[in-house]
Amino acid sequence: MADWSYIPQVLVSGLGIGCVYGLIGIGFCVIYNASGIVNFAQGAFVMLGGMITQVLFSRSGVPLPVAALIAIAAVAVLGVAIERVVVRPLWNRKATMFVMILATLAAQIVIERLTLIAVGDQPKTLPVFTDRPPLMFGSVAVGYQLIWIVGGSLAIVGLLAAFFGLTRTGKAMRACSINREAAALQGIPVSRMLALAFALSAALGAIAGILITPTQYTAFNVGVPFAISGFIAAIVGGFGRPFGAFLGGLLLGLLQALAIVGFGAGLKNVAALSVLLLFLFIRPSGILGAAK
Amino acid sequence: MSRLKLEGVTRRFGGLVAVDDVSFEVPAEGVTAVIGPNGAGKTTLFNLISGALPPSAGRILFEGQDITGLPAHKVATAGLVRTFQLVKLFEDLSVLDNVKVGCHLQGRAGLFAALLRPASARREEAAVDARARELLDFAGLSAFADEPASGLPYGRQRMLELARATAAGPRLILLDEPAAGLNTEESAALSRIIRRIADDGTSVLLIEHDMTLVMNTADRVVVVDFGRKIAQGTPAEVRADPAVIAAYLGTGKPSPDPAATQEAAHG
Amino acid sequence: MTISPSITSPERRPFRLVGLLPWLFAAVVVGYAMVVGGYAATVVSFALIYAVFVTGLNLFMGFAAQVSFGQNAFAAIGGYGSAVLTATYGWSPLPAMVFGIAAAVLAAAIVGFPALRLKGHYLAMGTLAIGLITYEITVEWQSVTQGYLGISGIPPFGIGSWEVTSDRGQLVMLSLVVAACAFAAARIRRSRFGRALSAVAGSEEAATALGIDVSRYKLMAFLLSAGFAALAGSLFVHVVGYVSPEVFGLHMVIVTFTMLYVGGIGTVAGPLVGALIVSLLPETFRAFKDYQDLAYGAALILLLIYAPRGLASLFAPRGRS
Repeated sequence: MADWSYIPQVLVSGLGIGCVYGLIGIGFCVIYNASGIVNFAQGAFVMLGGMITQVLFSRSGVPLPVAALIAIAAVAVLGVAIERVVVRPLWNRKATMFVMILATLAAQIVIERLTLIAVGDQPKTLPVFTDRPPLMFGSVAVGYQLIWIVGGSLAIVGLLAAFFGLTRTGKAMRACSINREAAALQGIPVSRMLALAFALSAALGAIAGILITPTQYTAFNVGVPFAISGFIAAIVGGFGRPFGAFLGGLLLGLLQALAIVGFGAGLKNVAALSVLLLFLFIRPSGILGAAK
Repeated sequence: MSRLKLEGVTRRFGGLVAVDDVSFEVPAEGVTAVIGPNGAGKTTLFNLISGALPPSAGRILFEGQDITGLPAHKVATAGLVRTFQLVKLFEDLSVLDNVKVGCHLQGRAGLFAALLRPASARREEAAVDARARELLDFAGLSAFADEPASGLPYGRQRMLELARATAAGPRLILLDEPAAGLNTEESAALSRIIRRIADDGTSVLLIEHDMTLVMNTADRVVVVDFGRKIAQGTPAEVRADPAVIAAYLGTGKPSPDPAATQEAAHG
Repeated sequence: MTISPSITSPERRPFRLVGLLPWLFAAVVVGYAMVVGGYAATVVSFALIYAVFVTGLNLFMGFAAQVSFGQNAFAAIGGYGSAVLTATYGWSPLPAMVFGIAAAVLAAAIVGFPALRLKGHYLAMGTLAIGLITYEITVEWQSVTQGYLGISGIPPFGIGSWEVTSDRGQLVMLSLVVAACAFAAARIRRSRFGRALSAVAGSEEAATALGIDVSRYKLMAFLLSAGFAALAGSLFVHVVGYVSPEVFGLHMVIVTFTMLYVGGIGTVAGPLVGALIVSLLPETFRAFKDYQDLAYGAALILLLIYAPRGLASLFAPRGRS
C-alpha cells in the first residue's frame, strides 16, 4: 500500500518532471499566441529531441552535448517544416480550429510512425549528463539529472522572458498574440512570426525531451502522453500564458507524483487526465485566468 | 393588454450602463421602432428582450408573462422571435430548408418521429413544406427554393431571414436593422413586407438607422440615447421633439438622418 | 462553418443517379466479399463495423458540426461491456450488447453534459481526454479487462440457439446493420430533428432565436453518436471473438476521421464509402503493416488541405459545394 514517508522524495522527482511538462506547455502557448492554433504535434518534438540525441550519441558516437545541439536544431527545422507543409496551407484557406487540430494530430501520428520505421519500437535511453551519486539532503536524494532538468528549465524560462521582454522579435511576437491584425498593420511580418513560433516551440519540446530522457526512456510513442501533460500544464496555467504554463507544469508534476504514491504508477495518466477534465469543466480559464 | 412591456430594464457591463432604466410598451398592433445614435444601447436592448443577455435589473413582460432572464430559445418558444443585424442564415442549407428550420416551433416531431415516420410526422412534414413554400412566395424567393442560402444576393438574404423568422409564427417579431445594406428599392420592398407582417397580426419592433424606412413604416417610435429612453410618440411627434434633435448632435435638422447618426457614433 | 456540406435537395433529378453511385459501389464490394469469402470477407466485415462507428461520428460532427476526439471511449464501453458480460458472466450476446450500448449512452450523458459546454481546443482536448482515460482504464482495470492480454473466447453474435458463425453469415448480418444505420441517418437528415442539427451547425445564435434548444440538440446528437459507437464496439468483439485495449485506442480516432473525410463529412453515404475505401486500400500493400497508420495520417492531412469535403468533392462540378 501507499507509503507516505517517501513524500519528500516523491515531490522532488515530481518537480523534475513538472519542469519538463512546463516547457512543453510553454511550447503550446508560444504557437497559440502567435497564431491561435493549438498544435497537437507538440509531443513529436519532445519524442524526437530525445530520440535524435540518442541515435547520434549511441549509434554514431557523437559527443552528448553536440548530439543534443544537433537534435534541437533538427527538431526546430522540423517545426518549421510542419508549419510550411501542414499548417500554412490550412491557415491560408481559413480552416476551422477543429480541422487544424486534426491535421496536427495526424502530423503527430505520421512522425511517430516514421520514427518507428527508422529506429524500431525498442525503448532507448540516454546516460545522465553528470554521472555522480546523488546529493543527499537528509533522507532525500537529489540526482544530478534533476539538477540539470530544473536548472536547465529555469535558464530557458529566463531566456524566454528576456527574449519576449527585450528583443524586437520577441516583442513583435507578443504583439501578434495581442492583436494579429493590428500587428500586421504595424508592419510586423505575421507569417514569419508563425514560422518562428513553430521553430521556437519545437526547440523547447526537443530540449524537454533531451532533459527527461536520461531519467526515463524514449520510444516512438512517448510523444502523445507528453503533449497531453504539456497541454494540461497550459490549461492549468491559463491558456496562452507561457509562464503560467510553466507553473501549471510544476503543479501537474507534483500532483502526478503524489498520485503515483497514492494509486500506483498505472493510474498516473488517469490522474493527469482527470485533472484536465476537472479544470476544463470547472475552471477552463486556469488558475491565473486565460490570456484572452 | 400590450404585447410587450419593459419595466425599468437596466443592463450594466462593469461600470458602463448600456441600458438605463428603460420602460415602454409595444402594443399588439402595428410597427414600433427604436431609434437612437449608434452606441445608444439599442442592440443591447434587443439582446435583453430576446433573452440573449439577462438584464441587471427590471422586468420584461410578454403578453403579461414574465420572460425576464429566460434563455433565448424559451423566449422564442413564448412567441417572440428576432433577426440579426448581420444576417445569420444557415448557409449550407437550401433556401427552402432555412424557412423549414424557421417552422421548428410549429412542429413537434422528435428523433423517433424522424426514424419511424408515423402518419402524424408525415402530415406535419407536409404542412411544414406547404407553409415554407408559401412564405418563400410571400418574400419573393420561390425561384430560389433549392439554391443554397449562401448563394443568394445580399438583399434576398435579408428577405430570407425575415421569411424564416416569420415561419416561427411569432406574435412579436424583433428586427435588428433590417434595412442595413439594402438599396432604396429593396428598402421600399422591405417596408411593404413589414407592413404586411404587422397587418397579419404580428406586432413588429424594429431597430433602424434608415429614417425613411422608420418614418414610412413605423406607427410609434421610441428614441434612446446613452441607454436612456428620451422620447416616445408618433414619427411626427418624435421628429419635432427637441430632446431628439439634441441627441442627434443638435444639428437642428427636423428629421435625424442616417449620415448624422453615423457621425454621432464616430464623434 | 466549413465542415457541414449542403444538403442536396432530392427534387433535382440529374443528381439522383449520381447519388446512387456510392451505394452501388458498396454493394459491389460487399457482394464480391460474399462470393470470395475468407480473408476478403473479414476485411469487408471490419470495414462495415467501422462504417457503423463513422455513421455515428458523422451525425455529431457532420450533421451538427460538433467536435469529438473521444468517441472511441464509447466504442470501448460497448465492446468491453459485451466482452465481459458474455465471456466472463455468460450472458448471451444480445442482452450484453444492449447493456453495453445503454452503458455507453449513459456515460455519454454524464460526460457530455459538462463537455459540450466547452468550445474550440478545450472541447477537442476534453473529448480526447475522455477517450484516453477510457483507454487507460481498459489497460489498468485488470480484474475486469485483463489489461493488455485482453479478453478472448467471446461468443459470436446470435439470438437464442441461432448463432452467426460463418464469414458470410457475419457479412450478411453486418450489411443489414449498416443498411439500417444509413437508413436512420438518411431519415434523420430529412426531418425536423435533422434540420435542427443543421441549424445548430450553421449558426447557434440563429438556431436559438428560432426556438431551437441548442444544447439539447447537441447532447442528443452526442448520445446518438455514442450509441452508434457502442454498437460498433460490441459488433467488433462478437465478430472477432477477442478484444484488447489497442482496438479502441488513438489509432481508432485517426482511422475513423480519415474514413469520415475520405467519404465526405456530412453526407449520408460518406461514412460507408469512406470506411470501405480506407479499409481496402491498405490491404493492397498489407505486407508493410507499419506503414498503415503512416498512410492514414498522411492521407488525412492531404484530404484536409485539398479535399476537405471528401474525395467526392474533387469530382463534383465547381460552384456546387
